[in-house]
Amino acid sequence: MATIEVQRQVLPILENPNRGARFYNPELPQSEPFVPGHRTCAGCGPSIQYRMTSKAAGDNTILVGPTGCMYVANSSYLCTPYNIPWAHTQIGSAGSFTAGVSAAYEAMIRKGKWQGKFPNIICEAGDGSASDIGLASISGALYRNHDCLIICYDNEQYANTGIQASSRTPYGGMTTFSPPGPEVPEGKKLYPKDLARMMAAGHPHCYVATASVGYPIDLMNKVRKGLNHKGAAYLMVYTPCQKGFVYETPRSIDLGRVVVECGLYPMWEWNPEKREFDYSFRPASMRPVSEYLKLQGRFGHLHAEHVANMQKFANQQWKMMGIQIPEALLRAEDAKNVTNMAAAAEAEAVAETV
Amino acid sequence: MSTKGTKIPDWLTVPFAGITPAPTQEKGQDLFPTGNWRAIRPVYRDKLPPCNNACGTNEKIQGYLDLVKRGKYLDAYALIKEDMPFPSVTGRVCYHPCEQACNRGKYDEAISIRAVERFLGDLGQALTNDVVQAGKPNGKKVAVVGSGPAGHSAAYQLARLGYKVTILEKSPKAGGLNRGGIPDWVLPQNVLDREVERLKQLGIEIRTNCEVGKDVSWDDLKKNYDACVLAVGLIDPNSIRAEGENKEGVLYGLPFLRDIGMGTSKVKLGARVAVIGGGNTAIDCAREALRQGAIEVTMITVEGNQEEMPAVPEDLHDMLEEGVELIHGRACVAVLGNGKVEALHLHPAKFSGAVNASPINIDREAKPEKFAVDNVIIAVGQHASLNWLPAEFKNERGTIKADKFGRLGDTNFFAAGDIVQLGSGQPLMVVNAVGDGKRVAFNLDKVLRGEALQPRTIPVDVIFDLNRMNMTYFPHFPRIQQTLLPPKTRKKTQDEVIQSFTEEQAVEEANRCFSCGTCNACDNCYLVCPEPCIARPERSNGLYKILVDYCKGCRVCIEECPTGCLEGVPELDFDTGVVRMDTAFAITPGLHGRQAEQLKHLDERAPKNI
Repeated sequence: MATIEVQRQVLPILENPNRGARFYNPELPQSEPFVPGHRTCAGCGPSIQYRMTSKAAGDNTILVGPTGCMYVANSSYLCTPYNIPWAHTQIGSAGSFTAGVSAAYEAMIRKGKWQGKFPNIICEAGDGSASDIGLASISGALYRNHDCLIICYDNEQYANTGIQASSRTPYGGMTTFSPPGPEVPEGKKLYPKDLARMMAAGHPHCYVATASVGYPIDLMNKVRKGLNHKGAAYLMVYTPCQKGFVYETPRSIDLGRVVVECGLYPMWEWNPEKREFDYSFRPASMRPVSEYLKLQGRFGHLHAEHVANMQKFANQQWKMMGIQIPEALLRAEDAKNVTNMAAAAEAEAVAETV
Repeated sequence: MSTKGTKIPDWLTVPFAGITPAPTQEKGQDLFPTGNWRAIRPVYRDKLPPCNNACGTNEKIQGYLDLVKRGKYLDAYALIKEDMPFPSVTGRVCYHPCEQACNRGKYDEAISIRAVERFLGDLGQALTNDVVQAGKPNGKKVAVVGSGPAGHSAAYQLARLGYKVTILEKSPKAGGLNRGGIPDWVLPQNVLDREVERLKQLGIEIRTNCEVGKDVSWDDLKKNYDACVLAVGLIDPNSIRAEGENKEGVLYGLPFLRDIGMGTSKVKLGARVAVIGGGNTAIDCAREALRQGAIEVTMITVEGNQEEMPAVPEDLHDMLEEGVELIHGRACVAVLGNGKVEALHLHPAKFSGAVNASPINIDREAKPEKFAVDNVIIAVGQHASLNWLPAEFKNERGTIKADKFGRLGDTNFFAAGDIVQLGSGQPLMVVNAVGDGKRVAFNLDKVLRGEALQPRTIPVDVIFDLNRMNMTYFPHFPRIQQTLLPPKTRKKTQDEVIQSFTEEQAVEEANRCFSCGTCNACDNCYLVCPEPCIARPERSNGLYKILVDYCKGCRVCIEECPTGCLEGVPELDFDTGVVRMDTAFAITPGLHGRQAEQLKHLDERAPKNI
């Protein structure tokens, strides 16, 4: 059987926006596959992610949207803000549907029914779909190595049904399923599922990475790396939810930066060729977790010992990345020292020193 | 749902039938014009950066730094030349109030604006033809008396406005204080010559050796010209009223420098030189004395310490590096010697009131200190020499009485520079004189065209507060220092002490600019908008547009704007009753509106067999 030539898109990697002392974003693609005119909340994090992702992917792209915020809010009256083919699927079948699209294109190319380049196939699953309900189907798609990119836009809860806890909801996060009270003062007792590492460990032939909307060019580059990777790729993106996290809308990008600087969202890439983690990403500074928590209403009920627990968790993440933890952050693991850090001036001082 | 490539019959293009048109990149999905959710609207509003505000002639500093960042050096040079006729001169001599005002100074170190200006000025010097052209001739003649900074600037601006300008200069060479007051090792003569040449290229006639009051009279000026700018400066040196001040070997600061600058100096300095005075001229004299062969130079000031001296701290530092000694809190009351100066009598002294702005109290009872010297240079300021001026235009300080526009009464005579001393009463620095000359030129133009004069407007919105910008986007970067010649070798030569930037250094230094309050097309707002409702046909300041039909007012763009150019404006301003929201009350019809019309006429259509 003659081999079939598959034309693949190769997306160029964008330049770093920090050129010496100057901040200047690289030239971005003109095409706008995601257009205005949708009913997401003001300052919506997943929407920012959707826009950046689709802009990075370009016009020859097919989007798959399992049930979630970005399906419910964006496709009303069968109108969508997508300029490219988009299809909804059930929340549990995110992976299987995406795998089907990918396999269909492979078959069409094999039969000579599709002449163009192989499209970028992107599945935009929420964390509910990716970590709970659709976990099995996504794992299947990754395992079978279909040529697609599966993105988990991680807003750490089921947001479109009115803020319920998912397995990605962080320790202490208040949701309607984890309300704080006299019995459980921290609200949520369980720590979040380490979804991306699970995917990297279980499917080592896939490109896996974590990203955050706080670093847009990094996010767009990871999307492009995932699409350029021949085979399945998986990306987990931190996307703050203004309603669920309870913060001021202008902070959307800022939260994406602070969560990384506090060590609560480690940024890394899994290199499928070398079969190893790449921890070379470094935020501009390291901060105590209280800096992140105090921006959000969902952590408003936490006591000092809970914040100290969060700091322990964050320090474990820094340790995992092989970064030396400054003395100030180790001190913050003790609840006695946390009370001071709740004050803005104290936390600022620690951030300066570390 | 996208319908690309699908042929949809006309009657199916309504929502109830299940298929709606695809959104377009230009119009968005207009079924949901979400702009009426908004309470605060983002608005691009460029503010005045503090450097532009602090500059004596309001150079567009942020503008040219931004152009240098992009490598558009010629555009940057043209932008400087709007306000500054000789960037190569101010790039060397300016006391840079812009750098003191620089917001980066509060963050790490101020930007080396003067060095970048010098880089651009030297670039302009290398051009065969200048970028600036004379204006269309309007047939009017203007005389500018004096070719110092203020006169140079006024003549330059008037030539650009189309006037036939004649400069009257009493010295054999044009340049005024730029030539006579600034030593060669700060500003080489050939740099200034080139700038004077540029003036001639604009069609300006320069008549040297032409002194008003001697060669030309007040009436001549009145008769031969439509208007006149008096920028004669303060030329006669002040005396210290000491006993025996007329002895041989007593020199005065500005004439000492001027003679060296003009090449007519016959002075031979002895080994020990004292300089009396604590200002910038005194510092230049002290450093020049070293270069003229003096071995020990001592500066005698009335000010009690270095901080009180009315001098540029950098120059003071460089002077001390070269080995000049300082004596504070002393005044010279007598010059001793037999015909020629041999020693000074010093007495303790201090200002009776505010430093540098009140009479000096000399303790004459104290035992005088004898200070042996071979020469003494007195540099304690200058005064005007205005014998030719009608008395009605003189004021009690002995300078010209001009109104706030620089105009003498309701004549067509204007005055600019040190001779007016608008404001503080202190001598002006070069850049302030340039600004004065520029404003007077524009005022003169208005008067001759019969327009009303407008007082200078106070800038409304200058960014002084770093919190109005987003500092997370700016990493700390150290300032690039200009190299200096080592003090040991430089103090014996006329070589330029401060070295200029290379191209790489200039770009790197310009890169440090925050662009305070001004859009520099970094694209960040465009990138972070969740809608995305920020459009830009081209990437350039002023071309970013917010699609108000869709903007939900989340303010992410305002928060993430690195320079603080974006700001939020309430849509409903209850204080003023202003309603700006164009989507809330005049609802965009959107897709529903368009379809409603079609739905009305649906009954009239012939039934279709589905």
